[in-house]
Amino acid sequence: MLSDYSTIGIFLMLTLAFPLAAMGMAWAVRPKPKCKPDDEKLLPYECGVDTIGRTWSRFKVNYFLYALVFLAFDVETIFLFPWAVKFSQLGLFAFVEMLLFIGILLIGLWYAWKEGALEWH
Amino acid sequence: MQISMLAPEIEIALLGLLLLVLGLLLPHKGRGIMGTVTFLGLVIALLLSAAGFGQEEALFNGVYQADSYGSFFKLLFILAGLLVVLSGSAYIQRLGRRANEFYSFLVFALLGMVVMAAAGELITLYIGLELMTISFYILTAYLLNNELSVEAGLKYLILGAISSAVLLFGISLVYAVSGTTVISEIAGHMQFQPAMVAGIILMIAGFAFKLSLVPFHMWAPDIYQGAPIPVTAFLAVGSKAAAFAAFVRVFMLALPLPQFEWGLVLAVLAACTIILGNLVALVQTDIKRLLAYSSIAQAGYILVGMVAGNEYGLKGVLFYAMLYVFSNLGAFAVATAVEVETGSTSIEAFKALGKRSPMLAAIMTVCLLSLAGIPPLAGFVGKFYLFSGAIGAGYLWLAFVGLLMSMVSVYYYLMVAKAMYIGTNDDMTPIKPDTSTRVALWICLAATVLIGVYPAPLSALAQTAIQLF
Amino acid sequence: MIDLTAYLLLGTVLFGIGVYGVLSKRNAVGVLMSVELMLNAVNINFIAVNKFVASSQVIGQLFAIFIIVVAAAEVAVGLALILAIFRQKKSVDLNDFNLLKW
Repeated sequence: MLSDYSTIGIFLMLTLAFPLAAMGMAWAVRPKPKCKPDDEKLLPYECGVDTIGRTWSRFKVNYFLYALVFLAFDVETIFLFPWAVKFSQLGLFAFVEMLLFIGILLIGLWYAWKEGALEWH
Repeated sequence: MQISMLAPEIEIALLGLLLLVLGLLLPHKGRGIMGTVTFLGLVIALLLSAAGFGQEEALFNGVYQADSYGSFFKLLFILAGLLVVLSGSAYIQRLGRRANEFYSFLVFALLGMVVMAAAGELITLYIGLELMTISFYILTAYLLNNELSVEAGLKYLILGAISSAVLLFGISLVYAVSGTTVISEIAGHMQFQPAMVAGIILMIAGFAFKLSLVPFHMWAPDIYQGAPIPVTAFLAVGSKAAAFAAFVRVFMLALPLPQFEWGLVLAVLAACTIILGNLVALVQTDIKRLLAYSSIAQAGYILVGMVAGNEYGLKGVLFYAMLYVFSNLGAFAVATAVEVETGSTSIEAFKALGKRSPMLAAIMTVCLLSLAGIPPLAGFVGKFYLFSGAIGAGYLWLAFVGLLMSMVSVYYYLMVAKAMYIGTNDDMTPIKPDTSTRVALWICLAATVLIGVYPAPLSALAQTAIQLF
Repeated sequence: MIDLTAYLLLGTVLFGIGVYGVLSKRNAVGVLMSVELMLNAVNINFIAVNKFVASSQVIGQLFAIFIIVVAAAEVAVGLALILAIFRQKKSVDLNDFNLLKW
């Protein structure tokens, strides 16, 4: 009973220890600042352009379309995993079946393409 | 195992893909042939499944059943799809550029129904169910600029997803007790356990949602009203029959449990459905909503046959589901023709239809009377089977409720007839439906009368199909 | 060892939270998320049952994979519909969708 949880416990401690160790190491070896950090220094990103507006801004709806197309195709590929695991035992029939499956997916992708879901308006 | 036994399914799937691709490849002008392609493809599917009728074989270790029961429903769905395409083509043409996808989704919904009816295993059943309902979500919301349509689509999606989740939770509990999802094997592992009872109840709730049985019927009238009318027709006939096909197969074969009589639960559901569906239909003023409540009541009648569970009752389920296709689609075809002409679905629009188009009015009247169960039309024979099955199984009270409410239903069906024949209308221009609609109407009329006068062939067909129970 | 009952309880509780979310959320996206929660509760049930009751076959795992895929398709359609309705009404609040009486 306890040993089951102890694995989780060890993992938990490791995950806590790891970032702490990394940060501690960085703190130990960094060059010590001569003066107090100013506003510029405390920005999330020191270089590049200043951020404009709030983080919770609205996204253009085109992102959304990409997300939908991505979601559909991304999740469909889940079927490839069990197939790949058992591939050597399944033989030619399953291979052809998977080709058919991917073929149908490709028709879908082609359809999305032709319908302009991948265009940036 | 022969792959040829799956010929109708493969053909339908290819047809759906073909329609999708054709819509992209054809120039804009050439898209008028989409309806013809769909029609021809469905005719081929019909012939293929008719040729395969009578074979009894379990494919893929029982996952998919190529049996007469599935074939009967296959024929039913394809016939329904054909009639919807025929009677709806004028309506679908008005969608313009997006008509090709419409046909394609119709075909995929049909494929889902076919898979549901033939599934010998719960995963397959679920896939069929979702293929059907997801296609219907899209079809319901197809008029993207129409607020009613989109709203109906979203409501259907949310409620449909919830009901699927409930059904799945039930399935997971049944799986937990029996350790299998193959329908024919579950019965061998049945145990009387609380988890099993909970699973059965959740599955009943899930199916009741799909069948729009009271008290899970709330979605049906809204979705029926908002959806484009050919979709409403297909939804009322096809999705309901598909849900029944799966419901009967799963519950009769997999879940007989002597200690927990779910038949009684279904009997109460059926009685509530019949009573409420008919009473609320009395006050409707929109033909789509009226037919929606009427179809809720009809689902109650069909459920009576399943409650009976004997030969007459089950035969009645199949028989009624088939005649319901013709009678209901006939009524919807008339409503479609009237909407194409007048742009309205209220019963007001039907006023004086007897003078504007005697044929439409006559067919509407015959179909509605058949739904009410007036002899010598098809509906009477169907109800005879259903109710005598219920009496044979000892559910005398249920048969009584059904008969009583059938009489009530005559009233609102005749209200429509009254509007058509007695009412007066400012607009008296004759309504002339196009050729394909007329063909569909004549088929519906002929089948409704013929099945009523000479029910023996369909009865024999249904008898063959229920051999597996 | 954690036994089957614990997993089934977890599934049931998650399912219950999902049902509560569906009934109480007024935001359409929130409702879709709650439905996802219900479906994932079912997935937990299937995987756990597969492990403890019928580990000789992988039916439960397969079922879970199919549920994940179908749920993704459902959500894709659902979000597209919400987008369509938002364009008309500038709102995703279910209380605003009242043209059809429930």
